[in-house]
Formats: sequence, C-alpha cells, structure tokens
Amino acid sequence: MSILNFFRYISLRHIRFQKTQSIVVLLSICLGIATIVSITIVNRSVLYSYEDTFNKMLGRSSLQISGPETGFPENLVDKVLKVPGVEYAAPVIETQGILIGAKEHSIMILGVDVLQDNQIRDYSISGESADIPDPLLFLAKPGSILIPRSLAESEKIEIDQDVQIQTVYGIQKFRVRGLLNPEGPAKAVGGNIAVMDIFAAQMAFGKEARIDRIDIGLYRGTDIEEVQHHLEKTIPQGYKITTPAGRTKQVQKILSSMQSNIDLIGYISIIVGMYLIYNAVSITVVRRKKEIGILRALGATRSQIIKTFLGEHIIIATVASALGVALGILFAKAAVGAVGEIISSMYMRTSVSEIKIYWADIFSGFAAGILATLIASLIPAFSTANITPILAIRSVPYSEEKMLTARTVRMVSILLVFLSIVLLIFYKATKFFPVFHNKSIIFLSVTAILVGISLSTTDFLRWVLTFFQRFILPLFSGSPRLAGLNLQKNISRNAVAVAAVFYSIAIFVSSAGFMYSIKESILSYTDSVVRGDILVTSGHPLSVGSQNIPMPVELGKEIEKIPGVLSADPFRKTYIDYSGKRVVLLTVDVARRLEYSPFMFAQGTHDEMVKLLPHNDAAVVSEGFASHFNVVPGDTITLSTPQGPVPFHVVAIIVDYMSDVGSVLVDIDTYQRHWGDMLAETFSVRVKPGESINTVQEAIMKKFGANRKLFVLSGREFKEESRKLIDQTFIMHYAVNIISMIIACFGIIVALLASVLERTREIGILRSIGMLRSQVSRVVMLESVILGISGGVLGSLTGVLLGWISLDGFYRVDYGASIAYYIPYMYVIWAIIISAGLATLAGLYPAHRAAKTNIVEALNYE
Amino acid sequence: MIELKEVSKTYTQGIKNIPVLHNISISIKLGEFVSIMGPSGSGKSTLLNLIGGIDQPTSGEIFINSKPLHGIKDDELTLIRRKHVGYIFQFFNLLPILSAMENVGLPLLLEGIPLSKIKSKVETLLQKVGLEGRMEHRPEQLSGGEMQRVAIARSLITDPEVLLADEPTGNLDSRSSEEIFNMLKKLNAEGQTIIMVTHDSKAADCGTRLITIKDGFLASDKKLKEVRA
Repeated sequence: MSILNFFRYISLRHIRFQKTQSIVVLLSICLGIATIVSITIVNRSVLYSYEDTFNKMLGRSSLQISGPETGFPENLVDKVLKVPGVEYAAPVIETQGILIGAKEHSIMILGVDVLQDNQIRDYSISGESADIPDPLLFLAKPGSILIPRSLAESEKIEIDQDVQIQTVYGIQKFRVRGLLNPEGPAKAVGGNIAVMDIFAAQMAFGKEARIDRIDIGLYRGTDIEEVQHHLEKTIPQGYKITTPAGRTKQVQKILSSMQSNIDLIGYISIIVGMYLIYNAVSITVVRRKKEIGILRALGATRSQIIKTFLGEHIIIATVASALGVALGILFAKAAVGAVGEIISSMYMRTSVSEIKIYWADIFSGFAAGILATLIASLIPAFSTANITPILAIRSVPYSEEKMLTARTVRMVSILLVFLSIVLLIFYKATKFFPVFHNKSIIFLSVTAILVGISLSTTDFLRWVLTFFQRFILPLFSGSPRLAGLNLQKNISRNAVAVAAVFYSIAIFVSSAGFMYSIKESILSYTDSVVRGDILVTSGHPLSVGSQNIPMPVELGKEIEKIPGVLSADPFRKTYIDYSGKRVVLLTVDVARRLEYSPFMFAQGTHDEMVKLLPHNDAAVVSEGFASHFNVVPGDTITLSTPQGPVPFHVVAIIVDYMSDVGSVLVDIDTYQRHWGDMLAETFSVRVKPGESINTVQEAIMKKFGANRKLFVLSGREFKEESRKLIDQTFIMHYAVNIISMIIACFGIIVALLASVLERTREIGILRSIGMLRSQVSRVVMLESVILGISGGVLGSLTGVLLGWISLDGFYRVDYGASIAYYIPYMYVIWAIIISAGLATLAGLYPAHRAAKTNIVEALNYE
Repeated sequence: MIELKEVSKTYTQGIKNIPVLHNISISIKLGEFVSIMGPSGSGKSTLLNLIGGIDQPTSGEIFINSKPLHGIKDDELTLIRRKHVGYIFQFFNLLPILSAMENVGLPLLLEGIPLSKIKSKVETLLQKVGLEGRMEHRPEQLSGGEMQRVAIARSLITDPEVLLADEPTGNLDSRSSEEIFNMLKKLNAEGQTIIMVTHDSKAADCGTRLITIKDGFLASDKKLKEVRA
C-alpha cells in the first residue's frame, strides 16, 4: 500500500517534472522494442504467408510427393495410386508465369487434373455460371484458365477475355473462362494465380510428360505413417514425401539463415537501450540523492526506495513498451512488402502484403521492454541502499555509489575479452574440437568481446581525455578546458554514454565489414565467372524463381544465328534435395564455357574440370557444399534425379556464392540426360571481335522481344544489377543499424543533460563572472563530441575485428573460405564522422539548456 | 524518556579515524525542551543525529522510551524514525516536487495511508503553523520562514515522542526566527519533547535545559534557569 503512495507522490511527480529525461528514456526503450517487434512480425508474416499459400495450394491432401525442381515423370502417379490406403493422387504443375497487361505481373501457374482436383482443392465461381457444379470443367477447352476475381478486378479482365502470359515458349494467349471466388487456391500468393489444365501447363511451361508434385488423399482412418512407409518403398530414392507441417519446417529453415543476422542487430539495439536505461537510472540516483536522504530520514525503508526506483522505470517501460509494440507494428507494415519481395527474389515466391500479428509476439515484445528495463535498473536502484540519511543531510559532495569498483569492472572486462579469444581458438581448431565449430560459439565470442570492451570504456575515455588535455587543449584557450575537466569528474557515467555509442558503431562497422567483404567477394567472383558480353534472360537476370521463366535450350541456337554472335551458352540453375538440404544445381556447357570464363578453384584444376566433366557423371562442388557435407575431390556424391539416385564423381571444389547451403555443377549434357530438362535460364552470349555489343543486343531484342519478355543486358549492366541486388539484400541491416545509433544518441543526451543539471550552480558562477552563453554552449557541445568520437573510435576498431569474426563464423562456414575480409576503411571513416555528427546533434539540446541557465536561480541552486 | 549511555562516535576518512563524540551520557525526560549548544564542529549535530536514529553510534547505547536505537536493523531504525521522531532541519529538506500539504503528510504517506485520510490532520497542522492559505504551494513558492513552518508541521504529523531541531533558524531572518521560536515554545508548552541544536544563545533560551558540547565531550548539562541565574 505504502509503495502506491510512493509511486503516486514521488515517482509520477518525477516522471512529470523531468519530462525531457523521461521522454528520452521512453523513446529509447520504445525504439528498441519497436525494432524487435517489427522484425518478429515481419518474420511471422512472411512465414504465415508461406504457410497460408501451402495450405491453400495443398487443400485436403495428407501427403505430397515432390522431386527435383525440373519435374519428374507423370507415370509415377499410377504407382502411387496402387499403394494401400491412397484414395487419390492428384498430379500438379506449380510454376511461374508473367501476366502481361498494362503492367507485368508475376503469377503462379497451377496446372491440375480437371477431373479429380476438386477432391483436394476447393474452387467456386459466382455470377452467371455459378450453377456449374465444378468450375474446373471450364478448363477442358484448350487454352483456358481460371483466375481469382480479385486479380481480374485489379487487372480489369473480364470473362471470356484473352490474356497474355509469358511461358517457357514465349508469350501465349489464354482465355479466362471463369472468375474464382476468394477461397482455396484462389487466395494463395495474394490471389496472383492462374489455374489451368495440367496438360496445357505441361505444354506451355516445358514440362511435357512431367509433373512437379503429387498431392495424395488417403482413405478415412488410414495411418499416414504407414502409407508414407509404403510410398518410400514404391517410389525411387531421392523423392521427398512430406506432410504440410514438414513443408512449413523447410521454409522456416530457409528463412532462418537470412533472418538470424537481422535478429542479432535487433537485440544489440536492445542492449544499447539497456545501457541508456542503466545510465538514466544511475543519473537519477545521483541527482536525487538528497531526496533519498530526506525520505530515509523521514522513515522510508531501503526496500521502499529501491522499489520506487525500479517502479518508476517500470512505469516508463510499460508506456514505452506499449508504444514500442505499436510502432513496431507500423514499422512491420511499412517493411513487410519490401522484405517479402527480397525473399521472393532470393528464395521463393510469396506475396506478403499484410502483416500477421500474434498475441504471443506482442506480449513477448512488451515483456522484453519491461525485462530489459528491470535488468538495466537493478544495479543503480540497489545502489540507493547505500545512501544513508546522514550522507544526504550532511550535504556531502556527491560521489556515485558504486556496487562495482573500477578494479572489478576492469577484471570482468579482461576476462570477457579473454573468454572471447578462447572461444575463437576453440572454433578455429576444427580438427581438435569439431563440436565447437558452430555459429553459437561465434555468437558467444562476439557477445563476450562486445560486453568486455564496452566495460573498458571508462579507461578508454580516461586515455582520450589525457590525449585531449595533452595534445588538443594547447590549441585552444579558455572554456574548452572545462569540457575535459567536466567529463573527468563523472567519468564512469560518461563512459556509459560512450559505451552506448560504442555498441552502435561497433555493430555498424562490423555489419559494414562483412557486407562489404561479401559484396566485394561476390563482385570479384562475378567478374571472374561472368565473361559473356551479353546475358539474355526472360526474367530479372538475378532472380531465382519468381520472375525468371526459363527458355528452351534450343533458343541458344537461334541466338547464334544472329549476325555478330559468336556463341550463346546456356546456363541452368535449379534446386535439388541433398541430404535433406536444398542445394543449388548449376549447369553449363563446361567445355565451351571454360574456354572464356574460368572458374575460381579452391581445390582441383581447370584442366581436370574440362577433361572429366563433359558427358560424364562427374561434378564439381562449391566450398560451402564441401564444408557442409564434408566432401573432397575424389569422393562420390549421390544426387537425386527424376530417374532415381545417380552417383557423381567429385572432380574439384570451386568458389561459388549462389547458395548458403552449397552448390553442385554438372555439364549440361549430363544434366539433360539425367534430369530430362531442356531449359535454360540464361544465355551467355559472346560477340564476335569487332562487332558492337549494342548492335547485337538490339538485334536479339528485335528478333525475340516481340514473342517473349526478354532481358538483354551487357556484362557491365549485369554486374551493376548484381551490385544493386546485394545492396537490396542488406537494406534491413542498415535500417536496424540506424535505429541503434539513434538510441545511442539518446544515451549522449541523457548523460549531458544530467551533467548540465548537476553543474547548474557551477554554470551560474561562471556566467556571473563573465562567461558568455555561447561559451557555455560550446563547452557542452565539445563534451558531446568528445563522448561521440570516443565511442566512435573504440566502436570502429572493435567493429573491424567483429566484422572479421562474423564473416568467418556466419558466412565462411556457409559460402566457403575464399570470401576475403576487406577492412571497410571508408565505413570506418564514416562511422567516426557519423558518431561525431550524431554527438553534435545530441549535444544541441543540453547545450541550449546550459546556455539559458538563469544566473540568480543557479547561484541559489542547492 | 530518552537515554544515552556512554555514546561515542568516530568517523573514518580514508585510513584516518576522526573521533567526534566521546562517552556522552544524557537522560532527557518527556516534556523537556533541551537546547544543545557548542562551537562549530563540536559534535552537537552528530549527537542530534544519533538521538534521531539518522546515524548510529560507534559505541554506547541509545533508548527512546526504552526502545533501543543501537545495534538494530536498518528497517527497525527507520520505522522508529518514521513513527517516534520528528525532525526539523536547518535547510528545511522539503521535497520540491510535492506541495506543502503533501510534504507535511509525507511520513504518513510512507506508511501507506492515503492523503484523503490524513487531509484534515495535515490541514490542522498547517493552520497551526499559520499556513492555511499555502497548502497547495510548492516549496519554491514559499519563503524561508514558511518552508520551515511546513517542516515543523511535517515533523508533528506522526505525533512523535520527540522533536529534533537542527539549527532550525540558521537559515532564516530574525523575524522568521522569532516566529519559529514562539512556535517551538508553544509546542513544548503543550507537552511536546523538543531537542534543539543551536549556536545562537537567544535560540537556546527557548528551552528549559541547556547541554553544552565541546570537542566531542559533554561540557555541561544544566537547567536553563541555573545557567541564567
């Protein structure tokens, strides 16, 4: 009960009267929580969108059989139907097309067996033909499709209207026979779907006599596991038999690798926020020491005081967390579309336009805010227990009551850095400690080094101030001297502000370091691999699946007939399942391609590759593949093909960054023989010496552009596109980095405001003896810049180191050891400029407050 | 009855021990008005802080109505301060964020009693100190004398057994000081036990007994009449 009085009469008053400090703390918690909540919501929404699409696409089927991305023979359906317990087995084509209207629109093509698919999926139409029992019957006529009503409305398409769809064989006309109501598959991928007869889909999308999936329905009461077991015996190895839940798990796996880094940065922004809260509570304790003394003298117990301090910040945290959750939802709404597009272009098609909010995420975001505040407030709040009534009443000069001595902090700092080094050694010594070669160890090492170095900010600031006094101060006269002295006076508190800047800058430089390294490595890899003068694709040249519709491999021969073309080499990229993981299967005409476009070898040679790959069951694998699956040249790997498993002899290990799980490259002849796929995504065109690239580009467009949507890019344009795509991939990292920097900025504001308030009397005295307002303001600004630059320099140095560790632990493990670490010098310079700039901004308000100090009031300030 | 037996206090500054009080033994009866005088640094405020349970003796024993103030847990000592002692400070020590009324009610608010229940008592006390028109004012809106009167009202809110005043007029002009002296005398006349530290002999005259401290030792302890005789 008494604690309620405390909140009412003490805590709430302080929150009210110290608006600026309360708002700054509130904003920092709010931003930290918003970051975490938005990341969680975006992740969930993307995942939900996949799940939702799967559920709608898979209908009532209990099991699915899928094979290579290139499709598998349709006669497998008959075998499946003979398995006991299987009631029906519906073959499905699921591929991508582009609806060509006023705007190009990527759509999913669902090819189904018109006679039996209604047993699995629900289709309904309304309007004129609503009395037709099965809308799929409309598809019996050749060239017919059904599209969702929503798509028809947005594209202004009417029933019986012809629409153009980009297929493997160019732009083809299809007639819209009906508009589907928004249920079942019509709601999948945001309604961007067209349903057609499976035969028509096979013909249009280069999958003659092949299908992508079999959806299986079971007799009631049948044991799914038993059927699964029978199916495994019936169908060739290498096929996947999954339940809907199994597919969701697969997506989770794919998304997790992309999102783990963003999550890490999000949590770092919470840690930066915690530093700020710690600092704010510490400052409050110092400022209210007299008040605490009075309350203690009047009979307030230690626990009442501790609870009050914790309670005050929990009140702020409650409001801040609620606002943070709301802001997080807004951030998520703004970001979800962009993230969905990135994931669509990088991994697989999805359409995420709406966010999916779960109460559990809201609650955990809210709780994270309260918990982070509680943890950050604990030490300073408990330090109030050391304040005795006599200390306050005797007006002893303030000294911060420390639960941790400088020596203890230094020891912990050294221990944490030492721990980080030990963990790194364990991680690197793969041969001796294979169990330690995982991302968790790197995460621990990074955290230990960050916390360890952040604890050394007091010592670092002391060195900076010594440097400042020895080498910078002699260049100035008068007031700047005060800046150094003031910072020295409350060095441990100012060090916390430095630590907040340190965290933000360290993460910024570290992210920049590994992103820059990856970008440079990929670009140098692209330079080495992409040697064609022109690249021809039917979708975005760098997209994986959603926009890129393959072309018949025969098109290459047509391109070669164009005057000026020396050669047009096909390139095919598909996904296959290897040991339960989705790896990339790359296909080129090895002999022709290697004449002008050398691969980068980690193990093996160019000659071996040319000699052993063409026409043989031989492959080269990427470094990532070799490291994930422990493969070396000379080993044999078994790849799943539509005909069943085929052993491939590994000839070499190459550098390749196409997949974080790894890639396998085989000769096109071998590929076509085993996979029966006669398509290509890209043609790498070489122009005859002396011929104009532009002229050939135009000639290709002129010849094929009318019949199909083509991207005809020069090598230079392709590399420019690569650069853009990489930048786009990292855009979320930059956004989260900026938020953590803003929070660090608040840290400086809180520290400086406290410093100004504490020095009210001192400022009054200085003003009374002739110090100008501008001089007061300059001192505070200079203090702010010193704090910012200290955090910036220490953060940049640590960031360079963290970048290297992160690259090694988070990327080299997946993509291979050949990714070189490039120190991001320009980013380091920028980081220091940004930290000084942000510190200058952060110093503006405290400087303004200091400058307008009323001399008479300040002199009477107790 | 307030009793001090062989009370000593030593402060530690770094590795140096600074003795402030030496073997003080005093006994104060309820209803007395004791003035404690002595030069600056003699230890008189320390003695008052020990009696009020704000500080703990290095050795010796202190009792208020047989309740020991020495060697007890901090929370127990805090509750004694809250319920049995009223304190008036030289610099008032009012909380700037609270109104006069809230400052006066603060010790009871600490008890968990809502302001609505103690409002009439607070109003009565503020009327008693002549501040009935200033109840909603915050300390910054009051004069020094008014602030001290609020502090007196606050010290009385728990009906303490003893009222301790540390240089209560040390920061006031002569007119305000006079008002405060009259108020304290009136309270004593109503039966309130008061112990006041002062270096002002005029202030000391308000009391009924005068204790003098010199260099941490009890120099004299006499009825004021005897001293003035």
